[in-house]
Amino acid sequence: MYKLLPNTPLKNEPAQCILRLSDNAFIPFDPDNTDYQAFKKDLANGVALQDDTGTAMSAADITTFLQGLK
Amino acid sequence: MAYGLINSDTMADSSGGIMSPISSVMRNRIINGSMVIDQRNAGASVTPTTANATYSVDRFVFLASQASKYTAQQNAGSITPPVGFSNYLGCTSSSAYSIAAGDFFGFKQPIEGFNTADLMWGTANAKTVTLSFQVYSSLTGNFGGSIYNSAGNRVYPFSYTISSANTWTTINITIVGDTTGTWVGATNGAGLQVFWSLGSGSSNTGTAGSWGTTGFGGATGQTSVVGTNGATFYITGVQLEKGSSATGFEYRQYGQELALCQRYYERLDGVIFQCAVGGANRETSWRFCNDKRATPTIVLNSAVNSPTVDSSFTTTNIVSVYNGTGNYFSANIQASAEL
Repeated sequence: MYKLLPNTPLKNEPAQCILRLSDNAFIPFDPDNTDYQAFKKDLANGVALQDDTGTAMSAADITTFLQGLK
Repeated sequence: MAYGLINSDTMADSSGGIMSPISSVMRNRIINGSMVIDQRNAGASVTPTTANATYSVDRFVFLASQASKYTAQQNAGSITPPVGFSNYLGCTSSSAYSIAAGDFFGFKQPIEGFNTADLMWGTANAKTVTLSFQVYSSLTGNFGGSIYNSAGNRVYPFSYTISSANTWTTINITIVGDTTGTWVGATNGAGLQVFWSLGSGSSNTGTAGSWGTTGFGGATGQTSVVGTNGATFYITGVQLEKGSSATGFEYRQYGQELALCQRYYERLDGVIFQCAVGGANRETSWRFCNDKRATPTIVLNSAVNSPTVDSSFTTTNIVSVYNGTGNYFSANIQASAEL
């Protein structure tokens, strides 16, 4: 399961990584990062994604989110 | 005047000093082949899971289709390493597991494309390589492994024999380079992957000694280590080099080996500390000891006062950590950019 992160508090910029809840790993949106590759596969296979408040996102919202990724 | 060709592992000068006829620069494509670096576990035992992301010593990742069938540990069993080595990677079977067709157990090292591109695999100029290692097992028989590409659709299963139980045995395997298929070139992707099997099912094994499209799990008929409770499999001195014969193991200085490992994983176990100087957030930045293969995944362990990673990090060499409460924070940081 994964969770989106809020904008960065220091610069108020959009988060450029995702939080993997199983081990609190911060996974960057880098196509060369194997954890990021696994994250995209997991979402495609139906693994849950939470928004930055911890609310489960709908399938439609996840699809939209994925379309915006590298 | 015609010049001949010298093929030799070593050359000695008139005083008996050894001269190397082969450049040692990047001769061994394997990193941490002497199993000396263990950043994650410091010699502690690990139990591989089906996530296929469990590491014992650096750069060797364990694969398992079923969890908890074996353990892995640097210097497991505390036996005497082979001459010239101080460490080895040890695997111990946790049960007498009967392998199903789709099972696979073992470990591999993916080698970055930048370090294999000169092999020119996937072209008519593909180079021959030789894999060598020292192995020790409580079992005897034919064992197996494979070399395969990043997509897993070009596979060379190999087989080797351990004739004497509980005895270090030198294994040399020469592999003619693959002239077809798609192989990652000079990029930060996985150029090739070397796998050692601890047991694999029929769906994941193939005929030893030839290129095919399946069989990453090793050679048909190979011994299953996980099939015998308490069986051991130890390995060290792993080397993959260009050419049709094995040369002596390429020893590297500890600092060199550590730096090579840190391109893929490093940890900082010191305290990260920032005094409160006002404002809502406190931040500190950390530069990796070595640039990473890709932007790494960051994990904070043993954290105090809830630090988190500044998610705006995009470079391969700096990460910022901050918190919003407390007068200080601390954590152990792990950065992973493994293949």
